[in-house]
Amino acid sequence: MSSATALPAPIPLSKIEQELGQQVREAQGAGEEPVQRVRMSNLVVYCDDEARATEIAAQVPEIVAVHPARVLLLIGDPSGPDGPVTATTSVCCHRLRADRQACSEVVTLRAGGSAVETLHFAARSLVIGDLPMNLWWAGKEPPGLAGTLLYNLAENAQQIIYDSIGWVDPAHGVSTTAAWLEHAERTTASRWRVASDLNWRRLKYWRRLLSQALDPGSAPGAAEAVSVVVVEHGPHAVVQAWELISWLAQQLDWSVQTGKVQPNVEIDWDFASPTRPVRVRVRRLESGPPWIHLVRLESQLSDKPAALNVLRESEERLSITLEGVPSEPRTMTIPPQSPAELVGRQLSDRERDPVFRDSMAVARLLAETLFSY
Amino acid sequence: MALENPVPGGGARPPQPCVLVIFGGDGHLSWSKLLPAVYNLNVDGVLPSHFAVVCFGLPSTEAGTKAADPDAYLRDRAKDGIQRFSRQPLNPGHWEDFARSLFFVPGSFGDAAAYEKLKARLKTVEAQFGIPGSRVYYLAVPPGLVAASVSHLRDAGLVSGPDEQRAFSRVIVEKPIGRDLKSAREVIQNVAAAFAEGQTYRIDHYLGKETVQNLLVLRFANSIFEPLWNQKYIDHVQITVAEEEGISNFDEDGKMTSSRVGYYEGVGALRDMVQNHMLQVLCIVAMEPPHSLEPDVVRDAKVNVLHCLRPMRPGTIKENVVRAQYIEGYEHGRRVKGYRHEVRQYFEEFVKKPIPPESVHSATETYVALRAFVDNWRWAGVPFYLRTGKRLPKRASEVAIQFKEVPQVLFNANPETPLEPTVLTLRVQPEEGLAMRLVSKLPGPKVRFYPVKMEFNYISAFGRSSPEAYERLILDVMAGDATNFMRADAVETAWKFVVPILEYWERERARDLPEYQCGTWGPIEADRLIERDGRTWRTL
Repeated sequence: MSSATALPAPIPLSKIEQELGQQVREAQGAGEEPVQRVRMSNLVVYCDDEARATEIAAQVPEIVAVHPARVLLLIGDPSGPDGPVTATTSVCCHRLRADRQACSEVVTLRAGGSAVETLHFAARSLVIGDLPMNLWWAGKEPPGLAGTLLYNLAENAQQIIYDSIGWVDPAHGVSTTAAWLEHAERTTASRWRVASDLNWRRLKYWRRLLSQALDPGSAPGAAEAVSVVVVEHGPHAVVQAWELISWLAQQLDWSVQTGKVQPNVEIDWDFASPTRPVRVRVRRLESGPPWIHLVRLESQLSDKPAALNVLRESEERLSITLEGVPSEPRTMTIPPQSPAELVGRQLSDRERDPVFRDSMAVARLLAETLFSY
Repeated sequence: MALENPVPGGGARPPQPCVLVIFGGDGHLSWSKLLPAVYNLNVDGVLPSHFAVVCFGLPSTEAGTKAADPDAYLRDRAKDGIQRFSRQPLNPGHWEDFARSLFFVPGSFGDAAAYEKLKARLKTVEAQFGIPGSRVYYLAVPPGLVAASVSHLRDAGLVSGPDEQRAFSRVIVEKPIGRDLKSAREVIQNVAAAFAEGQTYRIDHYLGKETVQNLLVLRFANSIFEPLWNQKYIDHVQITVAEEEGISNFDEDGKMTSSRVGYYEGVGALRDMVQNHMLQVLCIVAMEPPHSLEPDVVRDAKVNVLHCLRPMRPGTIKENVVRAQYIEGYEHGRRVKGYRHEVRQYFEEFVKKPIPPESVHSATETYVALRAFVDNWRWAGVPFYLRTGKRLPKRASEVAIQFKEVPQVLFNANPETPLEPTVLTLRVQPEEGLAMRLVSKLPGPKVRFYPVKMEFNYISAFGRSSPEAYERLILDVMAGDATNFMRADAVETAWKFVVPILEYWERERARDLPEYQCGTWGPIEADRLIERDGRTWRTL
């Protein structure tokens, strides 16, 4: 069980380490062993909204329970008044055994106006050397549109995590972010970096189930014969659906022909597969959780028309059924996908994902068809 | 609590009864470092039973100038310094005991009569404390006053012969020892006119740091490191001394409250940090195992490293050395001024003197990064990257030994996810300790890797703060152990390495002076210096 201490009063930035040390000492109970500071990495989080900051601060104990880290929560208010960067500190402790606790340190930095652009200076002095640095970009703008602030914050980051859920302008978000991704990941002899979208992580089990359903071993010819795809998603989940379609298109070698969009209603794309045209409809449901609810694939099985329905049955389960064929649905369990859980797991997952990179290149092409429309 | 020196010498030879005579005795170094250090030695019970401190010099504060009772003034000043800077809090019982042995003799370093006063007072104090005429003179004075101080000491008959064991005289000389090879030789000769080499202790407080001391123990008391400590297994070494502070301090309104511009301008980071601290640390990292721990055997081993440093030639300096100067930036969320602005403000407002023409567009470097090679069998081809700077993001000094990569098979076969190399880090400050970065498997069914850090921290491991470097070194001088002090030949050899760089810069002046913002890790040119070799500076 984790707990975060109450938010203390602001302290000078020069006193942060001292204050953290004091808080760690104070966390030690009578007769207990000294509290152990645990950190696998530095997690720098940037957000530009106080409400969002409150949400993230509440998620921190859960994140560090999955992946202990020194957390630097940077809250910028670019439209706010200029003023010095202020700091507060806290420690998140969890019990390892009856007389022993481990803690992660949390430093919250706030800046308004032009001081936002100086947050990276403060962050630079607070990261712990020799530990991987992860940047969680939780700003309103997609990373592709974030500009110099993200560039500066990501200076030494080995992983940049962002979440495309709820992007206001999905087409621009996807397009600019796909372009940004090409530059964000760079390799030299000894420095490398990955960029990760939490939405891509959410799709992991969809991708796995669809791969299994279209596997030539179990459904010969089904993948090549897909002709219609319908995706239904809840509000804020359009980019998730977009990334899923991009992945399908990339995997099945479809090339996009045209696209059109009815904002907040439906996006249609026409593709050419090696064997036939493919029509894709991505429909937004008026309500419901922000995830993909259904993927319907029209294809052929044993030379007969067939439709596969992959359904999000609940928060924890996906199921797949063959339309018109009475049988028990095949299911797949989805581990918890709270934002904290996703971030916590992503922090340890630092391998480049070439499938994601290639899918995002397709996603960018899909966006371009909508701009021309 | 015993202050044990892991290097025999400091621990093996007990400190001998003596008077510690501090020149510049109420000045900044004495107030903030030396008197607190001696107080801590007193609290730890490691000072000789017959011991006293006599401070000498013109008072550096207004209160000191007006003081009717100089001893009382000094005790107040010392108490204030201990309360502010001491490793251990001021304990009233210990303080009373310590204060009884503190004395102040006001006088000018250039005034022969003042030395007669000092001599008379020393005799009184020695009689009072039963000290057999042994004295340690700590010259905490600007370099320009060293020659006058030692010659007056000699002329006043305050220096005993080098073979005198019972009533010995030893002198501690602070850096800088000169500003180039010629002036260093002058300083050495001036001191040598009064004190023999065996009586001279050139202090470099970095050598008294626990971690620096531990380097020898780590290398030669553990069986796992020394077999790997060579070019076969080590990819490169990085030595970093990063300082958060600049040259001057300012109040909230931007008014300069203190400044070292007077010292630093025209000196720069190469002379201030590299020529002494960093090269000395490099020597300990790279030295061959000495056959004994006798001071001169260890010092021979260290100076041999300096002899093996590949000389910097005009044609190679540009590719191996980067200097830079800080410009306006941020520190702890506050905007801070650039170096040239500080220089201007120092002259115009702080000392109210015309700014010297050469300082108008000062070319003094506040940052240096360099790549050095130790051309011997052990280190052939292994680069030593050194960097130091002011107004960097944090105060952090360390030595990092980066081992060679494992072959690119098995776990390191995927170029998309290269394994982080194994690194042994010796942290000199702020928290002394060492750490080893290794690659570990993440728990779970998949084979995934993650770098983990095994840390040893002095305070966590031993439950108390390490003695300050000055404590150990002062004690070493009282014990007559010169292991951790620079011998004249080491000083000269270190200058021989850096002088070609200084001369090259002098020719280039400001033509090739990159800038870096305060609060960054230095100029892009420094990144390029190391990236050309396919490596990067460590993130501290």
